[in-house]
Amino acid sequence: MSGTGSPQPLNGRWSPLVTVLAFALPAIFVLAPLAIFLVYSFFSVDQGQIVYAPTLANYARFFTDPVFLPVFWRTIVLCLSVAAISILLAYPTAYFLTTLEGRWRYALLMLLMVPLLMSYVIKIYAIRSILGLNGFLNKALVALGIITEPSTLFVFNMNAILLTLTLLLIPFAILPIFLALERIPQVLLRASDDLGATGLQTFLRITLPLSMPGVASAASFVFVLAIGDFLTPQMVGGISGFTFGRILYSQFGTAFNWPFGAALSVALAVVVILAILAGERFGRNRGTSH
Amino acid sequence: MNQNSDLLTLRSVSKSYGTVPVLYGIDLAIRDGEFLTVLGPSGSGKTTVLRLIGGLEPLTSGEIRLDGQDISGMPINRRPFNTVFQDYALFPHLTVAGNVGYGLSVRHVPRKEISRRVAEALELVQLGRFADRFPAQLSGGQRQRVALARALICQPRLVLLDEPLAALDLELRRQMQEFLKSIQREVKTTFLFVTHDQEEAIGMADRICVMQAGHIRQLGTPHELYYKPNCEFVARFFGENNLVAGTLGEVRGEFRAIETALGRLVCSVNGQPHLKAAAAGASGFAAFRPEALHFAGDGDADNRLSGTIADLAFAGSSTVATITAGGDVAHRLRLRFPSRVDGSALRVGETVALSFAPHEGHLVLA
Repeated sequence: MSGTGSPQPLNGRWSPLVTVLAFALPAIFVLAPLAIFLVYSFFSVDQGQIVYAPTLANYARFFTDPVFLPVFWRTIVLCLSVAAISILLAYPTAYFLTTLEGRWRYALLMLLMVPLLMSYVIKIYAIRSILGLNGFLNKALVALGIITEPSTLFVFNMNAILLTLTLLLIPFAILPIFLALERIPQVLLRASDDLGATGLQTFLRITLPLSMPGVASAASFVFVLAIGDFLTPQMVGGISGFTFGRILYSQFGTAFNWPFGAALSVALAVVVILAILAGERFGRNRGTSH
Repeated sequence: MNQNSDLLTLRSVSKSYGTVPVLYGIDLAIRDGEFLTVLGPSGSGKTTVLRLIGGLEPLTSGEIRLDGQDISGMPINRRPFNTVFQDYALFPHLTVAGNVGYGLSVRHVPRKEISRRVAEALELVQLGRFADRFPAQLSGGQRQRVALARALICQPRLVLLDEPLAALDLELRRQMQEFLKSIQREVKTTFLFVTHDQEEAIGMADRICVMQAGHIRQLGTPHELYYKPNCEFVARFFGENNLVAGTLGEVRGEFRAIETALGRLVCSVNGQPHLKAAAAGASGFAAFRPEALHFAGDGDADNRLSGTIADLAFAGSSTVATITAGGDVAHRLRLRFPSRVDGSALRVGETVALSFAPHEGHLVLA
């Protein structure tokens, strides 16, 4: 190292490389795989060998085969439900957090985020043991006399997936809603009071609309994470809880039909991109984007 | 509306945050239809007064009466007052019309009437064409006017204005001062305006209430405050002033002498009996405005002073001379005189004779 080693010349020398990397890394690790998937979706498989001749057969199969579209729609409805339930639970929680004094507010927020530090698989196992036929939930319901014998309502089916995904993803809903609520200037609420609004009116006319960007972000987060998940349905869904993610997984795994799996992935990616765009569109504050 | 009847009275109102008192037993009567400015430096408690009246915070003790009825416990949304907030507090997701009509719409006024009254209110503040804009699309002055229209539309008994001009630049602030005053005359609603800017206070207020350290120091018209300050704080805070400390001497009719380091000065006690009544030897100040002080001629017998010009500052229509007077304890006096087109013959360092007429000086007790 020479004595002139001020950071400027070093930065100057490295900055083109940094710029290239900043564009190249996402291109290599995000766009390229997506492009490869897109290309593969136009190939086909013959006796375990991929045939590299362009064809629309995979997409034709997806749209015409009676198996795939119903599962596709059912999965979308499931994930929309997960998003809706997560928000219904997360909103009051986030609202409650913003009513707390500064120190308690962040302490409690951190506590709510702790589950994110745990392994996903461990959490699923834990929830599975709660939901099972002899699980904690059934035992508790029986012990409380609410039901007389263990219910199968939430054992290895769609409901189990719904409950598990909601539990797993709710922190992702709390955070954006909390941030949106916290960003609302308190003086706006006082102005609303001052103009004669009741507490409920202030909430419905000021707080709720101003927190909608957070709700939209939360919904798109949860939806996207839920629809991309194949592990949770695999582990708590049983036979009846069949989701699109599981079909996808089986195409790459057991069926070993990568081109068809790629075509299904593209269909899923379209939904995900639409969800992200919708979240982005409604995630902006009204009145500022004109 | 009757200018002389009291709309709102504060009776020994105190406020403490925890153990820290910010208001000490304030008494204040706000007259119906007046433009009252509460003026004070930061920390004087002026904003607290506004917040207590608006119902944003509870009183520690005392009472607030509206038309003679105690409203101390009335919740904020039931008080017939509206506030223009310092940073306007416009609702960003509502249009101008939505913001202005908010107070009516939460009271379930029929839609037709709301749009009629919103149009009227926007016409009043000259924003008729902006009804469909969002606050983010408006300039600072326009937002200010939206906030004013929003506060006026519910026909409040009292409009509370919390330093609403602080965020505007000087030129716009001047325009808004005139605008506020003209609107207030037009709607004849009582305005309670809080500011730390005495120039703003002089320009707009019918009466000014000067506050300091949680006390009201003086309440009166701008003219009274300027020419008859009742204490050292008001004399120093309100407008530029020369104060020379001394001990009170004998009373001569409507005048009284004060012995100072600069010699014996004679000042008016006109209209302030407590100045006549104060014991001889009590400490006080001779106070005289820079424009009352002038370069002495042969005819000036009273209140002759001499000093050295330390600085000459040209300020457009007038020029301000800073003069060092006195021996051991140097007094810095300011003298304001009309500027002349051919410039002043005065030079820094020159020794000059000064004087002010006894009726233009006043006494202030220490």
